[in-house]
Amino acid sequence: MIDVLPDRLPWFIGGPILGVLIVGLFAVANQPLGASGAYVQASALVRGRHDAVVWRVWYFVGLFLGGVLATVILRESAGVRSGYDALREAFPLGVAVPLVFAGATLLGYGAAVAGGCTSGHGMCGTAQRSPASVTVTATFMATAIATTFILGILTGGAL
Amino acid sequence: MSAGHRQPLFKLTKMNVIGILFGIMFGAVLGASNLHEYDTIHNMLSLEEIDVFLFMGSAIAVSAPALWFLERRGFATPLGGDLKLSRPKPEAHHVKGGALFGIGWAIAGTCPAPALVMISSGAWMGLIALPGIFLGLHLRERQVVRQLSESVPEESVPV
Repeated sequence: MIDVLPDRLPWFIGGPILGVLIVGLFAVANQPLGASGAYVQASALVRGRHDAVVWRVWYFVGLFLGGVLATVILRESAGVRSGYDALREAFPLGVAVPLVFAGATLLGYGAAVAGGCTSGHGMCGTAQRSPASVTVTATFMATAIATTFILGILTGGAL
Repeated sequence: MSAGHRQPLFKLTKMNVIGILFGIMFGAVLGASNLHEYDTIHNMLSLEEIDVFLFMGSAIAVSAPALWFLERRGFATPLGGDLKLSRPKPEAHHVKGGALFGIGWAIAGTCPAPALVMISSGAWMGLIALPGIFLGLHLRERQVVRQLSESVPEESVPV
């Protein structure tokens, strides 16, 4: 609609802004800018649990709205599409859909076991100099890179 | 947070406003930086492009010294008491969870926060990833509740 953002915000602008946001949420509310916890609270709310942390649900909603702000309003890049072009070229839809679902389930389960994901451990935890978060981050980076290379070999270089 | 009745969802509290605002800003930075695109994550994990590593690194480079400084100063946050960073020691579940998370992240090409932005941007396969993440988190939650109920009396199970 307004279309003022570049095709991709360079890392040296986006990264430091994210750093400021991490400091901001800690400075205002003593809370990490994580994401998997927001899923946990959203699901607790939907299931009618009384201990659901409501502000984390609004944060969850905010993530979606922020995506709309960046990809629809500030830059006209949204549109109905699979979002997985490279994966769709390597696999037929009947394989790609269950593969993404299985991968997402695995990462959700792993994030719950580890107590956080790329944002909670990878960025906020590392920024707090937490040895546990550094361990989680080093581990998921290693297995993610290894998995990507294995996928590349298994698909004969298509991925 | 508080026992008894859940905090109302539609109530204009400071924390709810902070939650949605930080969610929007975080989601917008992810969307503007194209972290919601499968290709961005795949190119990162196949080591074809280092931008996302630099993005995460610069976010940490900005936030880590600022958090260190604020904690050292004994900074009192307006909504969350004195700033207290968390620095737990690594345990086996960090390595196990991190390893599984990394494998899922590489396969799905997304993680919890970017998956929401993926949906904002019209990528319909984000609607496959989202329930997968919820399912994975839920499976772990059920597993923990079951383990607790086997080892401790019913009334001490956290709900």
